[in-house]
Amino acid sequence: MPLFEWCQWLQHTRFATAITESDWLFPLIEGSHILALPLSVGMIVIADLRLLGLAFCGEATGKVVPSFLRLSRIGFPVMFLTGGLLFITQAGKAYGNPFFRTKLIFLLLAGINAALYQKLLYPKMADWDSARGAPPSAKFCAAFSLALWIGVIVCGRTMAYQF
Amino acid sequence: MFAAAPWLINSDMSLLPLLESVSNWAPIVLIRDSKYGMPAVQSFHLVGLTMLLATVVALDLRLAGLGLRDYGLSRLARQLKPWTVGAIVLVMSSGLLIFLATPGKYLDSHPFRLKMVFLGSALLFHFGVLRRFTAADSMARPWPVNVVVACLSLTLWFGVGWAGRAIAFIP
Repeated sequence: MPLFEWCQWLQHTRFATAITESDWLFPLIEGSHILALPLSVGMIVIADLRLLGLAFCGEATGKVVPSFLRLSRIGFPVMFLTGGLLFITQAGKAYGNPFFRTKLIFLLLAGINAALYQKLLYPKMADWDSARGAPPSAKFCAAFSLALWIGVIVCGRTMAYQF
Repeated sequence: MFAAAPWLINSDMSLLPLLESVSNWAPIVLIRDSKYGMPAVQSFHLVGLTMLLATVVALDLRLAGLGLRDYGLSRLARQLKPWTVGAIVLVMSSGLLIFLATPGKYLDSHPFRLKMVFLGSALLFHFGVLRRFTAADSMARPWPVNVVVACLSLTLWFGVGWAGRAIAFIP
């Protein structure tokens, strides 16, 4: 089945229509998706700001980054679960939406960026605790992450205006 | 702050005409009528919300002893403060623009009034109470007190968020 038809089918399953037609389920899921932002993206942003030398400059990078990434694990499961449910209820409408597509690309890039950081730079963080701060490669990753996550929020908010 | 809404609507001496002229001011009209004006301002509002609640949650978790335990409480509070304040400026200025673009939608909205009550209480609590509890390290206080203060802070701020979300669903 082509992807678009699959999205249409998904949106019209009984599971999806039950969520859409419920007075409180859809608002609850959408509200949770938005209010989990600070518990997921917000914590990543704080870690990125530390890497860029803009926040928590009195604390070591090797301490700040892991502790806020740990906190982001509270929010991301909620984000992906509620985001998945929101997609199911609007799959057909989301499919052709340029902001939804851009959001997915940004999410993918943010994932790749985070994986590369984890593999290449995370193990070296303990060495950056001198006054000079993080190396340019880490700052680039942090700036890229910051831009991508802001882009995800902007696209996520804007796509809703086109439904 | 929350008493202002009914007064705006009911009083003969109301600010309604002023509000109307502000909402017809060219920059506000541009936001309201251009294709991406409202989504852009709403996006600023969400980015601000993300940053504001992230810093509040971090501080509350530390106060309650549930996270960031290797950070000194007062030191953490000092380091988060500029970001909390900056985020408050961002959410309130973008929120004001959203309000001014369609004041009629918000003045009659019950969730909006509730949101303003939560907002006023959250701000008072944050700068009046929470600041005092996080100004010095908390070893001397019994921990249940800290947990209660942290829970109140989270309830008030997430109350602002949920009431704000409800504007779209409840009249």
